[in-house]
Amino acid sequence: MMCDSPIEVHKDSKKHSFWRTDMKSVPGRSMGSPRKDVSRGAGGAKAKDSFKDFQEETKDAWDDGDDDLIQMANIRMSLRDVQHTALQVINKHSQQQQQQEEDVSNHGDHSPESAQNNSAPGTPSNGTHPGTPRSANGPGVGVRLNSHHNVPSATPLHLRQKPVQDRQNSKVDKFKTLLETPHLDLDELKTISWSGVPKQYRQTAWKILSGYLPPTLDRRTLTLERKRQEYYNFIQQYYETRHHEVHQETFRQIAIDIPRMSPLIPIFQQSTVQKIFERILFIWAIRHPASGYVQGINDLVTPFFVVFLTEYIHNDVEIENCALGNLPEEQLGALEADCFWCFSKLLDGIQDNYTFAQPGIQLKVDALKHLISRIDAKLHQHLMQHNVEYLQFTFRWMNNLLMRELPLRCVIRLWDTYMSEAEGFASFHLYVCAAFLSRFSQDLLRENDFHGLMLMLQNLPTHHWDNEEIGLLLAEAYKLKYMFADAPKHLDKKR
Amino acid sequence: MGTKDDEYDYLFKVVLIGDSGVGKSNLLSRFTRNEFNLESKSTIGVEFATRSIQVDGKTIKAQIWDTAGQERYRAITSAYYRGAVGALLVYDIAKHLTYENVERWLKELRDHADNNIVIMLVGNKSDLRHLRAVPTDEAKAFAEKNNLSFIETSALDSTNVETAFQNILTEIYKIVSQKQIRDSPDDENSPSNNVQTITVAPTDNSADKKQKCC
Repeated sequence: MMCDSPIEVHKDSKKHSFWRTDMKSVPGRSMGSPRKDVSRGAGGAKAKDSFKDFQEETKDAWDDGDDDLIQMANIRMSLRDVQHTALQVINKHSQQQQQQEEDVSNHGDHSPESAQNNSAPGTPSNGTHPGTPRSANGPGVGVRLNSHHNVPSATPLHLRQKPVQDRQNSKVDKFKTLLETPHLDLDELKTISWSGVPKQYRQTAWKILSGYLPPTLDRRTLTLERKRQEYYNFIQQYYETRHHEVHQETFRQIAIDIPRMSPLIPIFQQSTVQKIFERILFIWAIRHPASGYVQGINDLVTPFFVVFLTEYIHNDVEIENCALGNLPEEQLGALEADCFWCFSKLLDGIQDNYTFAQPGIQLKVDALKHLISRIDAKLHQHLMQHNVEYLQFTFRWMNNLLMRELPLRCVIRLWDTYMSEAEGFASFHLYVCAAFLSRFSQDLLRENDFHGLMLMLQNLPTHHWDNEEIGLLLAEAYKLKYMFADAPKHLDKKR
Repeated sequence: MGTKDDEYDYLFKVVLIGDSGVGKSNLLSRFTRNEFNLESKSTIGVEFATRSIQVDGKTIKAQIWDTAGQERYRAITSAYYRGAVGALLVYDIAKHLTYENVERWLKELRDHADNNIVIMLVGNKSDLRHLRAVPTDEAKAFAEKNNLSFIETSALDSTNVETAFQNILTEIYKIVSQKQIRDSPDDENSPSNNVQTITVAPTDNSADKKQKCC
């Protein structure tokens, strides 16, 4: 799919991503090669420069949004280098900050463009290290990497108020332009989607990010037609077999689970909707006999369904209450097929979560345990002391990808990022879980018996959560991934 | 109710098992919170709740583990049988298949739980009289044959829910107190970290109980 792009585009994409995802070299480590011009992707200036070099090159290393973070996703880097660089960044900032005597409470007035004034207000000026939970825009993370940005702007990660609106608008423009490009650069789409996709572009962006739609604009319509037809054929071919003895049990289980899927959201109580889910799940299950249908994966269709439905609903009708029976058959069919394919793509990446004995989940729970023991030793000790086992409460986090722990709106936002990350639903999810647990550290430390801990862990207070909380969670998760994912020795103690 | 009452004389771990959709979670929520949801979400993995009751002037804290019913989960959920002194094996009186599967659940318990676990067979949804598919007598006979206690409940209208838990906890209590097992905790001592100690009940030399479960 990605191979369809003509050569021009490839060149172009080099300009955009200074850190190539397929890069073999290790930034942050001394390369012994002379420093190269990193300011533009001029000529063959490939991404050979070290992280340190780059850091020196940039005037101000604080990022102005989550957008650029994704670009670092696949970089390998040692913890020492991260910390060292982080320290340098912090020092530089402390100095700048002192010079400017910036009033922290003023920061809402700065526009993203006013680079000098925005040296990360609100960021601790010293004493911060990559493990500090509060510093979501932590050192070593919020580093500008886009070589095509000439003047690094220096807005704090979570600047709110007025500038947010501006940024939103410019983001919407970016999506509009990008999605209408004849040959879309997938990396670029991931980059801008990482920090959240504007609602109106989400359904297209997700379909492309899932690998369901091709990046090439004029092939999309054809692909849709072909894939939808393919799915309709599946229905013809397989759905009748639901009453055959071999599939009876599968279908029975699906039929039990669907009505109680999202009991409080009216749209999921409509029989049209329930039938759609039944078919999607049944067909997926019998086409994937190694796992089959496993309770919980039904939840995973929901975000696709809700997001893709926006294509057919206008004038801001509340999705929760929209009557699906009013939609033309053809649209319903298309909606169902699209959900099926994207859901399939998602599960392809995490199928070992659902095969016999669910090895994927067991491994991840184990990894989470060791991660927490590294990043939040106090909490880990506390849980151990009270005999709380990670499997007891995180099984569901893994099996349902936190969908039972977060409001649907947050899950949708979370998935913007998962789809933009390499192995987002598989490995990045682990770091999100770690950040999630750690976030409630203080509350959990106050519970001093097994019962209190378990009850809290089963009902973590997230009802009020919104994009803001998810943004912080993701930044923290990103930081963890950055520190641990590519330094497997950090987690070596586990086995 | 009363999850914070940290003073108790005994702490018993009880598991809820049985096919998917028979009403395990609602039995739990009815007993511990007096709540019922017609369409409650499926249980993933295990869920947990507690409630304390009085038996013979003693405070008994029940730590109840609700498990997912789907077969796929058994590899994981069977880990939760460890240390359980009681099991409510639930079926749906309106769905014969869930009753037929009781045999398999019993085997599951024999394989993974302690030999001396106290088992109660529970026919839930007794409010669905017109849809009854499992005759009470048949289930009762089956229970007797297998040395299980038996009750029919309705989490929806509350019938017998309290009694079911009360009975199984009392039964466990009797066994435990008769045995005078190691520590029946004195007064204030019982913080959660004797979760392990509670599992007391099973002692291997209890001949009378052996026959009960096997």
